[in-house]
Amino acid sequence: MLEKIKSKSLIKWYFILPTIIFFLIMVIFPMIWALRLSFFNWHAIIGPRMDFIGLGNFYNILKDERFWGDLQFTLFYVGMVVIIELSLGLGLASLLNRKFRFRNFFRIIYLLPMTAPPIAVAALWRMLLQPDEGVINKLLVAVGLPLVKWTTDPSIAPISLVIVDVWQWTPFMLLALLAALQSMPQDIYDAAAVDGASRGQTFLHITIPLLSPIITTLVLLRAIDAFKLFEYTYGITGGGPAGKTESLSYYIYSQGLSYFNMGYASALSWVFLLIVLGISLFVLKSMRKEMR
Amino acid sequence: MKKKSKKRVVSLIIMVGIIIGIFSFSAIAKTTLNVLATKPQSTVIDNFGPQWEKVSGVKINKIEIPYPVLFDKVMTDFITGTRAYDLICVPADWMGDLAGGGWLMPLDKLKNEYGYPEWKDVTPAIQKVVKWAGKMYALPFDGDCHNFYYRKDALENPKYQAKFEKEYGYRYNVPPKTWKEVRDIAKFFNGWDWDNDGEIEHGIEFIAKRKTQAQWSLIDLAAQYTVLHGKTDKYHGVLFFDPETMEPLINTPGWIEAMKMLHELTKYGPPGLLSYGYSENRITFVKGTCAMVFDWGDIGVMEQNPKKYGSTVKGLVGYSPLPGAKKVWDRKENKWLSKYSQTNFLDFGGWVWVIPKTSKDPGQAYKFITYVTNPKRSLQEVTGEVYCGANPWRFSHFTGLDEWIKAGWSKKSATAYLKAIRSILNDPEAALDLRIPGSNEYYDYLDLYLSKVLAGKMSAENACKKISEIWENITKKYGKKRQLNIYRESLGLKPLE
Repeated sequence: MLEKIKSKSLIKWYFILPTIIFFLIMVIFPMIWALRLSFFNWHAIIGPRMDFIGLGNFYNILKDERFWGDLQFTLFYVGMVVIIELSLGLGLASLLNRKFRFRNFFRIIYLLPMTAPPIAVAALWRMLLQPDEGVINKLLVAVGLPLVKWTTDPSIAPISLVIVDVWQWTPFMLLALLAALQSMPQDIYDAAAVDGASRGQTFLHITIPLLSPIITTLVLLRAIDAFKLFEYTYGITGGGPAGKTESLSYYIYSQGLSYFNMGYASALSWVFLLIVLGISLFVLKSMRKEMR
Repeated sequence: MKKKSKKRVVSLIIMVGIIIGIFSFSAIAKTTLNVLATKPQSTVIDNFGPQWEKVSGVKINKIEIPYPVLFDKVMTDFITGTRAYDLICVPADWMGDLAGGGWLMPLDKLKNEYGYPEWKDVTPAIQKVVKWAGKMYALPFDGDCHNFYYRKDALENPKYQAKFEKEYGYRYNVPPKTWKEVRDIAKFFNGWDWDNDGEIEHGIEFIAKRKTQAQWSLIDLAAQYTVLHGKTDKYHGVLFFDPETMEPLINTPGWIEAMKMLHELTKYGPPGLLSYGYSENRITFVKGTCAMVFDWGDIGVMEQNPKKYGSTVKGLVGYSPLPGAKKVWDRKENKWLSKYSQTNFLDFGGWVWVIPKTSKDPGQAYKFITYVTNPKRSLQEVTGEVYCGANPWRFSHFTGLDEWIKAGWSKKSATAYLKAIRSILNDPEAALDLRIPGSNEYYDYLDLYLSKVLAGKMSAENACKKISEIWENITKKYGKKRQLNIYRESLGLKPLE
C-alpha cells in the first residue's frame, strides 16, 4: 500500500491536487451554483425563498433595455480600447526597439500607469476630466480652445473612459510587443534587406506575420479584461450621463449586490460569460485563419 | 551543534509564545467596536473616538467606505451573516430594508437600560424617523432636509432687481417663492460676472450626477407640484404612491412638470453640472460660482469656514425653505389646481446610527453613539466646529447661539440659517422620504431615468412612464400588500384589511 502511495505516477497528482481542489471550489462550484441560481427567482434582500422559473430570467434579459444599452456600450468600449492600444503599443514598441539615448528611461516611464490600481486611476482622471475645474479643460481654455464636457455629454463620456483605459493599459501591449520584437530572428531581416525590401514592406510582411501569435494572445487578454470594465464606470461617471457609460459588469453588480436580485444577476453573468466566450472564439478563429 | 539548534528552537518557541500572549492579552483587555460609516459622518469617530476609548476602554475600529457602495456592503454583510460591523451609520430612509428586513436590534430596551441624553430635546420629526413599526431602531445623528440658498449680493442688489424687472416684466421675490421664478432668476444671472470678481458666474446648481443622490433634487421640485395639503388620505399629503392601491404617482403631471423644470434648470448652471455630486455642489457654491443652490444644511457650515473649504461667500448667503409652485396637480379632479403651494420635504431623513442584530457588543455600541450625540457634542457637530455632515436636529441646537458664534458664524447668518431649518423640521405637513423596503432600488431607477432626462436623451413623459412601470415591478417583487401597508404606516395611516 505504502509503495503504491509512493509510486512515481501518483506523486505528480499529489502536487496537482491542491490546485485542482482550489479550482473546483473557487471557480467551478460558483459557476455551477450561479447557473443553477439563474433558473430561480431569488431576491436575497427579502428572504431565502427561491422560486424555480425555468428560463424566465433569460427571457427577461431579452426584453431588458438596460442590458442591451449596456452591452452596446461595453462592445464599443472593448473594440475601441483593443484597437487603439494595439496600434499605439505596436508603434511605441517599434520605437523603443531602436537604439537611442534614454531608451531605458522611456521604457520605465511608459510602464508607470499600469502599476497604479484602476480605482486610483479612476479617481485621478475624474478630477482631470471634470468639465469646470479639471486640469484638462483649464489647459484647453488657456490655449484658446473651447471647454469639452468630458464626463457630462452622453456622446463624449464613453470616449473619455476609452481614453483612460488607453492611458493605463497601452503599456501592457507595449511591454509584451517589445519583448516579442526583441526576440525576432535578425537573419530574416538581413535577408529582406539583401532582397531590397523597404522598411514598410519589412514591417508589413515580416514583423506583423511573425508577431501574429503574440498579437492574438494580447488582443484576447485585453478584450477579456476590458469586458470586465467596472472601476472607471464606478469612479468616474457612476454610469452616467444618461446611463451611457454603464458597463455590463456594473449592471450585473447593481442587480446582484445593490438590488440583490440574485437569480437575475446570475443569469446576466452567464449571458455575459457566453458573450465573452463567443467573441473570444471568433477572434481566435479569425486570427488563426489570417495567420495561416 | 545539536545543542545549539535545540536552544534556538526553544527560544523561538518562547518568543512566539510571548508574542501570541501579548496579542491575546490586548484582545481580551479591549473590546473592539467595528464601526462602518461614510465620509464625512465618519469624522465623528476621529473627533470623539479617542476620548471615548479613554473613558470606556473600548477600542473603535473605523471602517470608511464611499456612499455609493454603503447599501451594498451593509446588506451583503447581513445576508451572508459575516457579522463584520457592530455599529453602522446609514440614511434613515433605509429603515424599510434594514429594520423591516429584521436585520437591526430594537433599541428601546437599551434606551431603558442606559438612558438617552435628553430625549425630549430631539425634534419630533427626528424622533419619528428613528422608529419603525412603533419601535426605536436607530439613534439620531442628523436632521436632514433640503434648504434653498441664494447669494444675497446678487439677488438683493437693487440694480439687478430693476434690470430683471425690465427684462422679465415682474419683480422677483427674495427668497424666490416658486420654481418658475427660480428658473427666470437663474437665467438672468447665468453667464456673466455679477459679483465683479473677474470670473463668469452661473445661475443655479444642484446635485445632478448619477449615483450621487440626484433623485432628491427632483423630489424637491416634485413635492411642490404633487403634494396636496390636508389630512393625509388617498389624495392629500402623498408623494410617491397612491396609499390605497400602491399605484406609483410618478407618471402624473406633477412629477412630469418637476422633471421638465429640473431639466430646464440645467441650462442655467455651470457647464459641468451633470458631473456634480454633493461634494462638487457644495464646494463650487461656497467658492462663489453660482447665484443659487439647493442642498442639505452642509452648505451653510462650509460657507462659514473659508479656511477649511475655501469659502469666498461668507456672510453673502441667504437661506430659505424650498420654493413652491403656483399650481399643484389634483388627482381627484384630474386637473391642475391654480393655487400657491409649498411643501417642505425631509430628504433622506438624516443620517442615523443603527446596531445590527449580530453586533458583538450592542451595549457599548449604544453607549458610544449616545456619548457622541449628547446635546453638547452634537451642537459642536452641527455648528461645524467638528464637522461631520450633521445638521441641527435637537431643540437645543436652535437655541445655543453662542456655540454657533464660537464656531465662526456671524449672529445674523446663524439666526437666518436656523430659522430656515427650524421652519422645515417644525412643519407638521412636511413630506417624509420614501421609507419602504426596496427604497434603494426604487430610487436607483429614478436616478437612472432622471439622468437620461437631464442629459437630454429622454423626454420627461417617457422617463416617468418607464419609472412607473419599473416601480410597479419592484412593488410586485416585494409583495404589493406588504408594501402598501408599510407605505401607509410611514404616512401615519392605518393598514388596509
